[in-house]
Amino acid sequence: MKLFEGIWIALQQIWAHKLKSIFTLIGVIIGITFLIAVITVVEGVNRYVQDDFAGSIFGVNTFTVVRRSQVSTGAETEERRRRQARNPYLTMRDVEVVRAAVPNAWRFSYNVDRGLREVTYKERRRRNIRVIGASEGYEMMQGWEVAEGRGLSRLDERRALKVAVIGAEIAERLFPDVSPIGKRIRLGSLRVEVVGTWEKQGGLLGNIRDASILVPFSTYRQSLSRDRNLVEEIQVKMRSKEEMEAAMLEVEAALRRDRKLRPGEENNFWLQTSSDLLSAWETINRILFAAIPGLVSISLVVGGIVIMNIMLLSVAGRIREIGVRKALGARRRDILLQFLAEASTLSVLGAALGVALGIGLGKGVEVLTPLPASVPIWAIGVSLALGLLVGVGSGIYPAYRAARQDPIVALRHE
Amino acid sequence: MNDVVIHTRGLRKDYQMGTQVVRALRGVDLEIKRNEYIAVMGPSGSGKSTLMNLIGCLDTPTDGKYVLNGQAVQDLDDDELARIRNREIGFVFQTFNLLPRASALHNVELPLIYAGVHAKDRIVRARGVLEKVDLADRMDHKPSELSGGQRQRVAIARALVNNPSILLADEPTGNLDSVTSEEIMSVFDELHRVGQTIIMVTHEPHITAHARRVITLRDGMIESRDARADSRPNRV
Repeated sequence: MKLFEGIWIALQQIWAHKLKSIFTLIGVIIGITFLIAVITVVEGVNRYVQDDFAGSIFGVNTFTVVRRSQVSTGAETEERRRRQARNPYLTMRDVEVVRAAVPNAWRFSYNVDRGLREVTYKERRRRNIRVIGASEGYEMMQGWEVAEGRGLSRLDERRALKVAVIGAEIAERLFPDVSPIGKRIRLGSLRVEVVGTWEKQGGLLGNIRDASILVPFSTYRQSLSRDRNLVEEIQVKMRSKEEMEAAMLEVEAALRRDRKLRPGEENNFWLQTSSDLLSAWETINRILFAAIPGLVSISLVVGGIVIMNIMLLSVAGRIREIGVRKALGARRRDILLQFLAEASTLSVLGAALGVALGIGLGKGVEVLTPLPASVPIWAIGVSLALGLLVGVGSGIYPAYRAARQDPIVALRHE
Repeated sequence: MNDVVIHTRGLRKDYQMGTQVVRALRGVDLEIKRNEYIAVMGPSGSGKSTLMNLIGCLDTPTDGKYVLNGQAVQDLDDDELARIRNREIGFVFQTFNLLPRASALHNVELPLIYAGVHAKDRIVRARGVLEKVDLADRMDHKPSELSGGQRQRVAIARALVNNPSILLADEPTGNLDSVTSEEIMSVFDELHRVGQTIIMVTHEPHITAHARRVITLRDGMIESRDARADSRPNRV
């Protein structure tokens, strides 16, 4: 009841001095805005990585054989990175070794995919695209769906036909008005006919699928590859996690045998799963979450000091009021509570404003960049709790000064 | 409970002013009965304010005994004194001392807030006293929107809202013109008529005339007790 009174007074004060209040709260507002904005983006990316990313890139129960780890985690040493750089490129021979090692694979595919290229249609062009030479089953492995036309067929592969299925972004860029099906596009020296387009993926990873062009593996080898034997990745999908783990051991053993690695010698290839990626992201996450508290607490401490000063001024300007309240029966703790409630209301309001701004900022980032945003409820709770903490922390001394006023002196105060 | 509201014996108050001890009250014996209407007079420095602070439980005596409404209050601590002020004493100040940002109604509610009265009851009771002082149509006005006389009536309503044993008024007409002063004094007269005990500090003779008894202080002691002919309690 007296608490509400304090809150009510605080709200009136804030309303009466809107601009001053904003300046008073700027430290808290900035601190909380920053906190919420960063958490919003991090959490958004987090959710994305966990829900979509790992699944859409690697798929569940899927592992990929690559020359070297594509995910660099903080745990990875520079030395290992350098050693992996000396690993031999994967070849068709490796494809056969892996295929033979996992005869029970649910799905099996491989692809070539070297560097970013440019695609043109008449005068229109799109740079920075990926051209992927994909074996049969690659699109199914990746979960890519055809939007228009058809996907790649066994016949395309066998005859190394000059056909392509293009990503949504490329289709939009090169064929804004007409259907791309049947049109001939140019990839460097190679002309291919568009037979289909991929369903748009959008989002953070949209640029991977939406800016990709798939051609048959055989076509790529013949026309685009510098070394016809090279393979970029081999994907193996199993039916369960247990099967996947067993298959990884089989593949590792088979490749080591084929490459004649001695016991104790390190693998000169890398088996990648979605957990690699997740652990890399978790490392980034940990660093971010370690850095946030420091940055936020600096601005909150500054914000708290400002609030304390304003509260001291407020107490000094209301000595008479304190005297009147005491004469009317307010005890020390009533006065203490009143000023604490005022400081806390002020500060929590600042925190709430910060939350709103932070969410706005996060959403802005979502709109302007491919980074997704997601506001976790706990972050709002933590922000408001921090606001309360700052309010109580910065209000306690001014409130104490107010509470110990002698009523006689206070009543005579001009 | 008997009819004596205030009873003091040998009330003393010393102040430390630097190295000197100022003896503001040098032993005051006082007895005030229910429904008395008392004016306290005296030149400045006579100990008038000190006595009022002690009676109002804003301060504690250096020595002596003070029984308010049957309760010895000379040795109470801060919080207990706050409770006594809240329940037993209604203050009316020369400068009104209303909270400037609060409405008349809220100002009157304040003592009830500190008494822990529920919000609904508070509003009912605060409205009731404001109606008694003829401010039913000014409840939502801020002090700045009220005239001096209206402000003092809000202050009187605030003093009365918790049904105090005594109404303690310190120069209540000091900031008002003579017409408004009479208006306020008639409010006090009416309150006295319906049984309120009133103690009023003043130095204006025509205000003193309203009181039934005048106590004059000089040098920290009671100089005269002018018990008037009509000082018998005026029961309703």
